[in-house]
Amino acid sequence: MADVRTETNALDLIAMSAAAAQSRRRSVRIRSIGIGIAGFLTLLLVWKAGVIVLKVPPYILPAPEQVFVALWSGIAVSPASPLGWYMPLWSTMSNALLGFMIGASLGLFFGSLMAEFRAVETALMPYAFALQSLPKVAIAPLIVIWCGFGDGSKVAMAALLAFFPMLVNCFAGIRAAEVERLELMKALSASRLETYYIVKLPSAAPYIFAGLDMGIVYALLGTIVAEFLGAQQGMGVAITKAQAVTDVAGVFGALVVLGVTGILLHLVVRRIERSVIHWANRGKH
Amino acid sequence: MSLATDAAGFATPPIAAAAKQNGAGNPLIVVEGVVKIYSTVAGDSVLALDNVDLTVRDGEFVCLVGPSGCGKTTLLRLLAGLDTADAGTSSLAGKTLNGPSPEVGVVFQQSNLLPWFTVLQNVMLPLRVGGSSRDAGKIAEIHKLLEIAGLKGFENKYPYELSGGMQQRAAIVRALARDPKLLLMDEPFGALDALTRERMNAELQRIWLASKKTVVLITHSIDEAIFLGDRVVVMSPRPGRIVRDLVVDVPRPRIAAETFGSSSHVALAREIRMLLE
Repeated sequence: MADVRTETNALDLIAMSAAAAQSRRRSVRIRSIGIGIAGFLTLLLVWKAGVIVLKVPPYILPAPEQVFVALWSGIAVSPASPLGWYMPLWSTMSNALLGFMIGASLGLFFGSLMAEFRAVETALMPYAFALQSLPKVAIAPLIVIWCGFGDGSKVAMAALLAFFPMLVNCFAGIRAAEVERLELMKALSASRLETYYIVKLPSAAPYIFAGLDMGIVYALLGTIVAEFLGAQQGMGVAITKAQAVTDVAGVFGALVVLGVTGILLHLVVRRIERSVIHWANRGKH
Repeated sequence: MSLATDAAGFATPPIAAAAKQNGAGNPLIVVEGVVKIYSTVAGDSVLALDNVDLTVRDGEFVCLVGPSGCGKTTLLRLLAGLDTADAGTSSLAGKTLNGPSPEVGVVFQQSNLLPWFTVLQNVMLPLRVGGSSRDAGKIAEIHKLLEIAGLKGFENKYPYELSGGMQQRAAIVRALARDPKLLLMDEPFGALDALTRERMNAELQRIWLASKKTVVLITHSIDEAIFLGDRVVVMSPRPGRIVRDLVVDVPRPRIAAETFGSSSHVALAREIRMLLE
């Protein structure tokens, strides 16, 4: 009987400690959310106080509630209204995503070629370095000349900016494939293509996702820059339009929309990454 | 060499082992005058293997022991076709070895399972690469091997969900997937703790008795070599030469508790230790 009782007590203790650990984790999470909200409210308060005390005119820095009104006026309209955020955001996002897909695919393709074939690496590396060190936004005027003021320029700009992080990361990731795994494929007499997609590409996956994460934000940036240079629609156009009539609150509203969009895109990539490469960082052997 | 036909051999292992020790098998591996020279980063040449001769008969379990850097791994890499010799010849079943062969399975120091594949995908890899992943007979064979290796029920787990010992057993199943004649193992249990290692040795003996492969196993552990081997081949430090070829005359299946204390084990272990000093 004594044994049974100690065992029950032990089980109770385990259950209790698990419950305690869970409630500890929950209280840590609640506290960190609380700190986040408090920080945000403090920022708004300092902002508001600064605007009042320093008598900053609204065409320099609007008060937070004015930004909120501008933001809300773009949200509380029909999605088809040209006054809302929906139309320009859709235009920007669709171009950015299309450009991202093109740029990322090309980056994956050329990064793989460079990693697989020394000759390709030798031939392309100098250009890759030269273009990488060039501020690519400076190419935007050229692209507008070539592709015009329409969606073509935006897609091209997004693709260009998404291309490089993918190229570099894919190249580095494939080259980082473990020698032991490559030897395993060699011992199995695997073909080059089999070795590429069974070992090298999955080995590079963590690097590739880092490239995608960077690339998606860069694609958004590229699209906005192309829109600044002349376009009929998009968030970049919304910003320049607001700027033209010194609607600074409107500019801030557009920036908030873009910031939230960027964070959401980043989170989507991270979520996909976690489910695709669930095996990473779980011990190698 | 299918497992099904070996069921009788598994049931009466001492007879099979006795046949092996009497040298009934034909030579499977013949290595003659093999020399391997490595050039270091600094530009020096290192003689890794110096005129090595080795014959391994069909169905034999040979353990290679020697100090670090004696060229054991180099010899194994030559047999696996991962390296080429600078002089000398090596042949497998009468055919000259010059590259990886489907008749050779390799177990590496680390389990070397691909973390993005499940256990089943990992052990199926040799079939997939060989283009026979839909061969029903071979798939059935793999499932039988998984069962022998105690991995039944773990087919859809990922390597990180397995213990070190289970990962290494999966690696052995993978090496056996193509039903090779020869199994090469490079310190397969070096990364495991002592107790797990002893259990793995017993399991490997069981798998070997059931499959009747020819095995060449590298180890640092003298006990492991004597427990597993029909022969223990002792190598000298660089340049790697074979200094002694000892027969282990202990009946199978060997049991750790009995083998380790026996007088023949103690005598062999002493002899090997003196050779390595």
